[in-house]
This record gives sequence, structure tokens and C-alpha cells, in this order.
Amino acid sequence: MATRNHDHELLRYRRNQRIIHALLASSFLILLLSGLVLLWDPLSVFASGGTSRLLHRIAAVGFMAVPIAYLIADREGAKELLVDSFKYDRDDIEWIKHMYRYAMGHATEMPPQGRLNAGQKLHHAAVVIVSAAIVVTGLAMWFFKSGLGASGLAWAAIIHDFAMLALTLLLVGHLYFTFVYKALSGMTTGYVPELEAKIEHSKWVEELEAAEHEAAAAKEVPSA
Amino acid sequence: MANAFLLDLGRCIGCQACVVACKAGNELNEGTQYIRILEQVRGTFPNLAGGFDNHRCYHCADAACVAVCPTHALFKEDGLTRLDRDICSGCGYCIESCPYGVPEMVDGRSSKCDACAATTKAGGDPWCVTTCPSRALMYGDKEEVLAEANARVAVMKNRYPNAQVYGETQAGGLGVIMVVPDDPEVLDLPLKPDPPLVSQAWQKVVQPGSIALTGVTIAAAGVAAVIARRNHMAELRAVEDAAAADTTEEV
Amino acid sequence: MALVDLKITRRTFLTTGATVGIAGLAPSYALAAENGDTPWYRRGRIETTYNYCDMCPWRCGIVVRSVDGVVQKVDGNPLDPKSRGMLCARGQGGVSFLNDPDRLQAPMMRAGERGEGRFEEVTWERALDFIAGKINDIKERSGPEALAIFGHTSGEYWFTDLFAQAWGTPNAAKPSSSLCLSPREEAAQLTYGMAVGGHEPVDWDELRCLTLIGSHIGEDTRNTVMQDFATMWSKGGKVIVVDPRFSSVAAKADYWLPIKPGTDTALLLAWMNVLITEGRYDASYVADWTVGFDELSAHVADLTPEWAASITDLPAEQIRETARVMADNLPQSVIMPGRHVTWYGNDTQRLRATYLINALLGAYGRPGGLYFNKSPFLEEYPHPPYAVAGSSGGCSAEPGEEVSDELPLGPSGKARADGARDTFLRGATALQELIDPMISGDPYRIEGLIVYGTNLLNSVPNKPRTIEALKALDLVVAIDVLPQEHVAWADVVLPESTFFERYDQLWAVSHKTPYIAMREPAIPPMYDTRPAWWMARELGIRVGLDAYFDWETAEEYLDKRLRSVASNLDDMRAEGGIIMQNGKPYFEDLGESSPFRTPSEKIELYSQQLADAGFDPMPVYEAVEEPPAGFYRLLYGRHPVHTFAKTQNTPVLNELYSENELWLNEDAADDEGVADGEYVLLENQDGARSGPIRVKATQRIRSDAVFMPHGFGQKTKKLTRAYGRGASDTELQTRYALDPISGGAGMRINFVKIVKEV
Repeated sequence: MATRNHDHELLRYRRNQRIIHALLASSFLILLLSGLVLLWDPLSVFASGGTSRLLHRIAAVGFMAVPIAYLIADREGAKELLVDSFKYDRDDIEWIKHMYRYAMGHATEMPPQGRLNAGQKLHHAAVVIVSAAIVVTGLAMWFFKSGLGASGLAWAAIIHDFAMLALTLLLVGHLYFTFVYKALSGMTTGYVPELEAKIEHSKWVEELEAAEHEAAAAKEVPSA
Repeated sequence: MANAFLLDLGRCIGCQACVVACKAGNELNEGTQYIRILEQVRGTFPNLAGGFDNHRCYHCADAACVAVCPTHALFKEDGLTRLDRDICSGCGYCIESCPYGVPEMVDGRSSKCDACAATTKAGGDPWCVTTCPSRALMYGDKEEVLAEANARVAVMKNRYPNAQVYGETQAGGLGVIMVVPDDPEVLDLPLKPDPPLVSQAWQKVVQPGSIALTGVTIAAAGVAAVIARRNHMAELRAVEDAAAADTTEEV
Repeated sequence: MALVDLKITRRTFLTTGATVGIAGLAPSYALAAENGDTPWYRRGRIETTYNYCDMCPWRCGIVVRSVDGVVQKVDGNPLDPKSRGMLCARGQGGVSFLNDPDRLQAPMMRAGERGEGRFEEVTWERALDFIAGKINDIKERSGPEALAIFGHTSGEYWFTDLFAQAWGTPNAAKPSSSLCLSPREEAAQLTYGMAVGGHEPVDWDELRCLTLIGSHIGEDTRNTVMQDFATMWSKGGKVIVVDPRFSSVAAKADYWLPIKPGTDTALLLAWMNVLITEGRYDASYVADWTVGFDELSAHVADLTPEWAASITDLPAEQIRETARVMADNLPQSVIMPGRHVTWYGNDTQRLRATYLINALLGAYGRPGGLYFNKSPFLEEYPHPPYAVAGSSGGCSAEPGEEVSDELPLGPSGKARADGARDTFLRGATALQELIDPMISGDPYRIEGLIVYGTNLLNSVPNKPRTIEALKALDLVVAIDVLPQEHVAWADVVLPESTFFERYDQLWAVSHKTPYIAMREPAIPPMYDTRPAWWMARELGIRVGLDAYFDWETAEEYLDKRLRSVASNLDDMRAEGGIIMQNGKPYFEDLGESSPFRTPSEKIELYSQQLADAGFDPMPVYEAVEEPPAGFYRLLYGRHPVHTFAKTQNTPVLNELYSENELWLNEDAADDEGVADGEYVLLENQDGARSGPIRVKATQRIRSDAVFMPHGFGQKTKKLTRAYGRGASDTELQTRYALDPISGGAGMRINFVKIVKEV
């Protein structure tokens, strides 16, 4: 697949990645809504009878399947994402120090960032950790409810709820940056404008260009 | 007004009429019972004492099941613990939380004694009370029930010096006021009453807290997003203008 | 007016129009079904009918509520002196009994061998014609006496009384007599010249001391008795319970005497010894109303508590103390006449001993003692003279009182074939004694048998003999609601409607306040079933007994009978289903004449009648056979949610208790190496084996006896829920001891050992 198209856009997310993201997003939203009906009184009517529970459990399976699906669909991408999310260089630290500026819409004059900026890394890392907590407590409540006892169950539910709260707040942030930096196209078409990529992920664009040069050079050498 | 049951374990002779009346009147499924009669025997032959425990929902004042019920299908009314199966989600938290093992899952929803809410509101007594041949059961205003319980204990003390009223304050206060022939410890009565604090915290802190925090976050993020996006667009324009200027200069 | 008439508690009861439709409900209530779907009483028009419960022979008055033709709920009729608005577990399970899918659904005739259980459905015409032809043949060949009729449950009147007497067989019998109450009734007639009657006349309201010998209130869940006991107990009345088992009621007792089984008479004699030697009896009552006190004093002079202690395995001091407690409360102190009293074959004498104590306590006819019960005034339906006088007796009918020494004879000159006057002295027809004549033809052969509602193979001891008889008979007719085990042995099976689906005979109860209860159908008969009155009438007309059945409908019959008490069905319904009359419970209600219809017109402590017949004139303790080493005495009884062997298949009752347990002393269980909850087999002294039964290892029973609730271990697969669950005590009762006075079958002389191979 080409790394750029004719509109001066760069390929940011491959198709498989976008599908995985859609799976994650939809299962998460179903989980959020089907969970919310138990949490928020005005919605409790939707919880009656247990349909919401069934939905919750189906979506939970989807949610838990995401990492596995990612590994199957795009092993390299998954590994890269995971490794990147937990690796921070000096620029990242600097970036984090000035994160407020970025949050308020000022991307220029921020330390140069790779494919993932430090905020995204933090976001991904948090999602991974918090999701693990959700999955563990969720499975416990699903399969080992009677083993938990009254307070065990309450603790599991509280951790589950708080973790979901964290994920929801992360989602708010996620959507926030998507909106502020009009980044939606990355997940729809897969491409982002080159100009904006250069501002926000200059190191990544440089890497891309370097790779292109290498590729071009490699093509030229044998014919030379 | 608070209502309550009177359960006289001195009188109860274990005939199970209440069990069947409850099943018949409330049309409970096969396998579902709101009342269980349990044999209690202490001592060794021939020095025995005993009787029956009439195990049922005790309608705790501070009911764990109500505390954990996410949809408020379980709720307190007139001092009793009601269950609206229509809005039950079938999560089963009440089943795990009840210290007495009362609620059961029936057809995917919780099921327990609701003190015959519909029946009593229509002017009747709960089915178990109506039929009890030993009059070990009574239902009515809690004050009247307490008065009756105290009167019964006063007489019962002649036979059983340790007879007492149980459930007025014990176990956090129950909607089933018991007349017991002996110390509750001896009779194995419910003694682990209070639901864990964490059960309370769930509904009282976690749920409203989460909703509030999410709401505040979304509101704040919404406002900030508008500002930030404006900033970013301005920034982009500046960069584009600069780039255009560069191009012009080059040309 | 109540929104929904559910308020049928004892506090208020609306006798009028208990039919409030859903339209009459306030909207807030119409939506108030907190716990589930729309409750049954809001689904449509509630229709109320009056009835008396047939879940046990106690027969409480009930109110049946149906909605849109579906029977929904049974509750006690508040006006009924037995139920007073309350009901036991079995009564509450009535609707479940009605809806038992295993019910017999159509008349059937045998298509295979007897006992094989293969039948073909036939029309009522065909079935009844066949029976009529067969019994006419029997009559022509051997006389009407060669047809035996056994009856139990509340429709028994139509066959065991009306049809039998019109037809002319004295061999009509009820298990409620010789397998249950005969010794009690004969002892009462012999001692004080009265029937105890179906409703034991304990004057509970003022009773201060109750003594129970082998009565299990709370396990035997007769509604009124539980009510009265609870009231008496909670007022602080003393309770003395004599039982080898720590029964439900023993747990409530002030004194529990865990007596060695079979030694009750020794205890009773020792109690008399204490009462008399310590002068703790009602001397003026004894002087006024008894004969033979001096003889009794001399008789029990040496029968001290110390003497009894070694026999009964009870401390002498406990015997003495309890006698004093009884005496302290006289005359409001009684030994309650028991219910199932056919234990050891010497039962009439034991019962006489209890009545003697009641007499010493001055209890008969005194407030707080034992009142004089009275049957309600109600004329018979007019009929031509019967071909033979009835003598079947039982707890659910007025016992057949014998007015003369002569046994009633059938049209061909034969008296009962049960050996009365020969192997036993007197009393109602002994059902189990009619089995042998079916096989041996001695004194004459019984050729045909109609079994109405009697659970033949789960109630009559010596089951192999009963099966042999079923094979030998020329005709076996089974009339029942359920396909009980014996039904498979019938040539013709007639399915009966349950008590919810039929009119029935008026229930006239001998009581402190005599009363009459009615039964009307709540719904039409389900399936192709019919009421017993209809069957008896159809059969009667077919065999030329039209004159005894000169009514078309049950309503006509009942209205005519009710005319004698200035009522009819409509009036009775309007008045709440019960007609009350006044009784004469105490001496002060009587004139000069003695209520005691004995030869002496007094309570006969010394019975000249027995002496003349060659029996002990006063009760004597005779040791009964002890279980051999390794064996336990087999005791049997009740579980609170079951009646005999009748309700084990009723869905809701089966759900609560589907198989019986074997009560085995915990220490004995240890010695046997049997754990609580383990399944074992039982083998009796004759090698008969039971099915597997779960052991309940408990401190609540002596170590020389085991106990199991009766009526389980059903052998017929047609009872899908009860089949094979638990063990049958009847199968282990291969022998019984005939009471030579009453003809009762003592069944507690069987021993079992535990076999561990399940």
C-alpha cells in the first residue's frame, strides 16, 4: 500500500488497523452503554430482563478479542503499538512537560514527535492497563460471582466501575484531540494531511521520507 | 408507616403450611421457595431441645440487597423489602450480597418474598400469615407487632426463661420481628447483619460519583475543545501562510 | 367493600359476593404487582365456591377461588370450625393435586394380565355395563355378600355405605377402622359407651395439661389440632409427650418421655398407681361417674413407677412427676385419644388404660377436659330399607355402632367374612381380615372387590397376601383419582373427579358445635372423569337398585337432605357454606340421664363386658416381642406435607418432600457404620426388602427403633414423581398382630435390619 496519496496525504493507519480500531470502539461503546444502564438510574429501565447483560457479555467478548485480533491481523503493528506506548525518549518527556499547550491547540513549537506523540503513548498505555483491570474484574463477576462473597463482589464491581470511568475519561480525551486536530480521517480513510503530520509528528514524517529514499535507492541500484 | 411480620419460633411447629400457601398464592415456580423450614436440634438423646427455623426474607432495615441493586428493583417500602421483578436486570448482586441467602434467580430475574405486596395492598394478609395454623405468623403495623411480640415473650418466659424478642434492633433491625425461645446465638439466628461497608459505597458513592465526574469532564472538554480547535486552526493557517510565502519567495 | 376480596382472614370475612372483577380495582392497585406478573386474583373475575378439603380425612371447610374457569387458590373457610380460615400444607397443595398430570383420565378396561397395567380406554357405558354384569353374576352365584367394597377418602359414602347397604354386602370396609382407629373406638364404647368420633373431643380452650402418647402434632398436620395445640401451649398449658422419638411436638413439650416402644400400658398403669395411691384423682367424679374403682385400686396397687421404670426405660421419678403434673391440672387435663392406634395387637386395652386415666382425672364432660360431642341433626335422604346394615365405621364416618350382639346378615344370610365374633370380639369390619377369604374361601369366598380411593397396596399389611388375593378375585374394580399401585390390578378402572370438580355428600361433623359443610364444584370435571355419586347411581340403576337412587342430580339430593334443617344449597352458599348447630358438650347441658351408654351407665373402670367375653376386665401390661439382635423396631408415621400414600405424587408436595428418610439413632448409625445421608436397604424379619432409603442419623430417636414417614417407595411408574422415591413401610410390614378385641391390625411388630449395599 502506498504510504501517500495524490492529495499530499500520508497513510497513518492501514486497513486492518482501522478495522481493529472499529471493533474496539464499537465493543467499547456497547459495553459503556450496556453498563451505564446499571449505573445511572434514569437508564435502569433498559436493564430490566437482562438483555443489556447479554449485550454486555457479547461486547465483552469482542472487547477481549481485540488484542488477539490485532495480533492476527497485523502482528507487526500490534507489537509496534505496544512497544511504542511504553517507550518514551527525551522529546517525549519534554512534550509531556508542555502538554497543556498542545491540548489547547498549539502543536507548533512542541518537541518533535514520532508516529505516536507522547500523549497518545500515555493514552494507549493507560488503555492497556485499565482494560486489563476491567477484564479481570469483569470475568470475576461473570464466572466467579459466588466465590467472591458479598464484599468481594462489591470490590470487583467498584474496581470495574472505576476502571470504566477511567476509560470513559480517556475516551473523552481521545475524542477531544480527534476533534481539536481534526484527526478523524486517519481512522476513516487511513490518510492524514502531510502538512499537519509534519507539524505534529515530524520525526515520523522524516522516517517515512527516509524510508522512501531508501526504497527508491534500492530500486535504482540494481538498474544502475 | 412501617409494617412488619411477627414470627414466633416458639409456636412454629414446622408444619410447612406457610411454605405451600406462599407457593400457591404467589404462583411460584417449581423449585422456588420463599420460606424454608429448617430443623433445629440441640443436645444428645434424651436431653434434647429444638424446634424449627422459619427461614425467609427478614426484610432488613438496612438491606444489603437494596444497597447493591443497580436498578432499584429492590427497594424499601413501608419497612419491607420489595422487589419489582419488572425492572430487575438479573445481575444477581442481591443473591451474593444477602447475608441470609434469600434471593433466588428465577427465569433470569431475582425472586424473593416481597411481603405479598400486591396482596396486602388489595386488603389481604400475606399468604403465609393467612394460613398459619399455629398463628406463629402475624403481619401488621410494626408497633403493634412489637407489642404482640413482647406480650408473647412475657408469657413464654414461664416456659423458656431466655425467651426474647429478636430483630427490633438486632441485625440492624428487621422487618420480621421474631419471638425466640432461647438466646439467638443458641438458635443460630442471623447474627451477621450489616452488609459490608463496601456494598453500601458502591451505590452511594461509586455510581453517583462516576456519573458526576463523567458529566463534568465532558462539559469541560466540550468548552476546551472549541477553544483549542480554534487555536489549532489559527496555527495551521499561520503555517500554511508561511509556507505560501516561502513558495512565493522561491518563485 | 374491599377492592379485591382477599381478606378472608379470621378477622374479617365478607360472606357476600366474593366476586370482584378486575374493573373494580383502583388503578394504583391494578398496577401494583411488585413481584412478577399480574397476580391470579387480578386476571379476571374471581369465583368463590365452598368445599371441604379432601387432602386428608380431617376435611377442613375451604373456600375455593377460581378465575376464568381455572382453580387458583384454596383457603380455609373462616366459618368452618375445623379450618377457621387456616389450612395446612396439604390443603394448600390441593390445587396442585387437582392439576396432577398423572391423574386417571378416562374409564379403562384391562387389556393384559392383572397387575401388568395394560388397559384400553372405554366408554363409561361399557365400563359400567361390564361391572354390573359381573356383580350380578356374583350375586346370582354366591349372594351379594361375595362382593367386597373398600372405601376411603371423602366420596366413600356412595360406595362403602349407600351402595353396599342397598346391594346387601356386609363386607364393606374402611381402612380408617381396622388399620387405624378401631381399638380407640371399641375401647371408648366398652369404657364409657360413646364414640370418640372423627374430631377428637379435647376441650382445648380451657385445657391446662395435655398428654400425648404417640401423637405427632406438627407431623400429623391436622389443621385444627395444630391451631388448638398452639393456643393451649402458648397460654402456658403443660405438655407431656410420650414418644420413642423426639417429634416436632416433643420439642415443644414440658416433659418428653422417650419410652421403649410397646411398653405404654406399663407407663399408664404406673400413672394410675401414682394417681390413686397418692390420692391425686378426682374422687367425687370417680364416685359419681365410674364403676370398679376399688378393683382398679387393687389392680394397680403394686404397679409402681419403679416397676414401670425397668419396663419402659423411663426414670421412675419422671413417671411420678408427670402423673402429678397431670393431677395438678385436673379436670382440665387429658390424655388425647390418639389417631392411628393399631400398634401391637393389644391396642384396645392400651386405649382403655388411657381412658381410665382420663376418668380418674375427671375429664369427661367437664370444661377443659373431654367434651361430649354430638352429631348435627340432618335427616338421611329417604330410602327403602337397606338390604344389610352397615358396619364399616372409620374416622370419616360415624362409626358403625353395634346395637346388638348379632352381626347384621346379608340377603343370603351371610354375616361379615372378617371373622368378627370369632377371631376378634367386636367393631367395624376389619378390612385386612377380608383379604384372606378372597384366597381361602373361608368362611366363604369373596369373589369381587370394588376399591374406592383405598390405597390397597400401600396401607394393608402383608402385601404379598393382598397381591395373591387380587389374583384370585373374579372382579376387581378400582375407582380413584390417581393411578395408585393397585389400580394396575383392576379389571375396570373408573377415574374419579377430584373434590374440586364435584358435588358430594354433606359433611356432617360430630363436634362440640355440630355442623354441616358442603361441597360444590369449582370447575366441571376435567378429562373424562365423574364423581363417585354419579358412578354409584349409574351402577345402582344397572343392578336394579333404582329405588335407592331416585334423584337425578346431586343438587336435588343435597337440597332434599338440607330441607330437614330448613336450608338448601343456595341458602347454605349464601351463609358461607357452613350450617352450625348447638351441642351439649358438658354434664350441665344434659338432663338427669347419664351420657355414658355402657351397661352400668357409668365409665367402666372394671369392664364386666370384657370379663364376660374372656378378656382382662382391666388393662394388663403384656410384653410385646422384642426385636432380635441386629434388628430395629420399625416405626412409621407422617411427614407434615403428606397424607398417607396419597400425596407423594402431588407436584408441589412432592417438591417439598419427595422421598422419605430413615431416622436412625446417631450412635446406632456409628455402630452400623452408616453415615447421615447414606442410602441403605432395609430387610425385615421375614426377609422382605425395601428400596433404598436415605439415613437421617439423629439424636432424635431411641437406638432400638427406626422411623420412616409412611407412603413412599411407590412401585408404579404411572405416578411419575413418586415412583421409586424412598422406601415403603408397607412392604416391610409383612405381618401384623390382630387385636382380639377390636380387629385392628397392629403393625409395629415388624423389625428391620440395615443392609448396606446400594
